[in-house]
Amino acid sequence: MELTDADLVARVLVNDDQHAFGELVRRHQSPVRGLLRQLTRTDVALADDLAQQTFLRAYKNIRSFRGEARFSTWLYRIAYNCFREDARRRKELVGIDEEQLQTQHDPQVASPGLRHDLMRALSLLPLNERSAVLLCCQNGLSHDEAARVLDIPLGTVKTNVLRGREKLKRMLADWGPN
Amino acid sequence: MKQVNQEDWLDQQLREAAPYIDDEGFTARVLQQLPPPRRGTDFLRAAILLGMTFIASVLAYVVSGGGRFVSVTIERLAALPALWVFVLALASGLVVAAVGATAAISKGWVLET
Repeated sequence: MELTDADLVARVLVNDDQHAFGELVRRHQSPVRGLLRQLTRTDVALADDLAQQTFLRAYKNIRSFRGEARFSTWLYRIAYNCFREDARRRKELVGIDEEQLQTQHDPQVASPGLRHDLMRALSLLPLNERSAVLLCCQNGLSHDEAARVLDIPLGTVKTNVLRGREKLKRMLADWGPN
Repeated sequence: MKQVNQEDWLDQQLREAAPYIDDEGFTARVLQQLPPPRRGTDFLRAAILLGMTFIASVLAYVVSGGGRFVSVTIERLAALPALWVFVLALASGLVVAAVGATAAISKGWVLET
């Protein structure tokens, strides 16, 4: 029988079992690295560095995980904090404004593919909308869980998701269903 | 209806744009950077505590004139009425049971969470 995340966390807490923690890393590395790649605008090396920091921080602070949220939600929150701290250091927290967004989007330019355009459209969203859309629409978190991860009010998450989706739909209008 | 279709389509595209990322040594790199397991430090802590207890016991024995206070206390206890001895034994038992129950409950809580 496969152990649940809670079982593995208990093993880490009680026996300092690093094999159990390794299993947790194996299970969650893909979504955490994926989220960080999107947040860093597909800077793979930076995203992986931040993902390593995320898991190391999770290991050191695993006693603060109370099991009130899913383990993945707790990890996303640490990942997002790592990203924000790094972004603050790099002074990249400022999103791209509407004007810049519109000038960069040119429907006449031939697109190499939907996936490429979607990634590009995502990277053009301001950070608050991008992170809300990624957590709720891509990673399947509820608005409430995303509010915990991003440490912002529930209403703000809903607004950011709505605005982000509207912008994405506008930017991908040529690809969408008729 | 068109709006709903568009949102479903966008969500689907977003989910598909997040393929599984192969581990490719990532977990091993994380595990290499973990601090050493607590077991070593726990052993050291236990050794220090035992050592300190031993030294304190030896000091107490020497300072108290060869542990004379132990025999004095036993003599005093023997002189107590049987009911008092029973009450003392019962109280000690209850204290030990309470400490054990607290430790078991806190351990159970850790495992549960």
